[in-house]
Amino acid sequence: MKTRSETARDTHAYPGPSTGLVVQSRKISRAELARRFLLRLVVLAFFWTLLTDFRSDALVFGLPAVLAAAALVFLGPAAPNWQLSLRGAVAFVLWFAVQSVRGAIDVARRAFTPSLPLHPGFRTYRTSLPEGAPRILFLNTITLLPGTLSAEVMGEDIIVHMLDIRADLEADLHDLERRVATLFALTPETKAQS
Amino acid sequence: MILDLLAAILIASGAFFFVAGTVGLLRFPDLYCRLHALTKADGLGLALIAMGLSLLAGSAAEILRIILIWFFVALASATCSHLIAAHARRVDRERTDD
Repeated sequence: MKTRSETARDTHAYPGPSTGLVVQSRKISRAELARRFLLRLVVLAFFWTLLTDFRSDALVFGLPAVLAAAALVFLGPAAPNWQLSLRGAVAFVLWFAVQSVRGAIDVARRAFTPSLPLHPGFRTYRTSLPEGAPRILFLNTITLLPGTLSAEVMGEDIIVHMLDIRADLEADLHDLERRVATLFALTPETKAQS
Repeated sequence: MILDLLAAILIASGAFFFVAGTVGLLRFPDLYCRLHALTKADGLGLALIAMGLSLLAGSAAEILRIILIWFFVALASATCSHLIAAHARRVDRERTDD
């Protein structure tokens, strides 16, 4: 019985646009949709030809697959047009590289230490990042940070599994959240209104 | 020659992290901790091996292909571990409800 009520809460908990950060998105027109379709077509075709070493006979499979994948843009709700800040992206990639090395060394050290130093447990973090690409990037990056793993999402609450529950989760994730917001050129609502 | 040596060092350290991930997988007490070991250690292991192989690659297209493969594997491993953890928590909840 409890499961059902919890699933209901799950679907209920998505409140639409998040309140913490404002997104500068445009309304999506037909021309915009066509532009996105073409962009996807070009990018996917590039990936395919690259992965198949520019072989023309591989296009027998590639062409339908690329067309179908690009056509997915016409299905479902259109995602807002996220803006990326180039400076934010470069800073994010560099920081991410350092963090993933730290995360791997940390987990390797724990695995090889005979006493197995683990204090695992779950903690909850409430995010103010909007749904879609920023939140997905946030979730995936949490998993590669030292000692944390995004285990479940319930609305705006992210259940994080930690190898050492005594670490300062709040500070680390707040920092990551700020970095993702910078990458997507999001501004805090209070700033945008003033 | 130096390039070969550098590539060998990178690939060997990549292999080391794969071993670390496997040791974690075997020694860690529960599913969630094991996911940590797999995503983080194997992720860096693959990145190091990809870098080592890029040094030995014959063409720019080959390097781009290695980067592309690394990117998609990294994306898939983080996403998969999240899905596995979310499913495990759902199962745990159902079990405690019964």
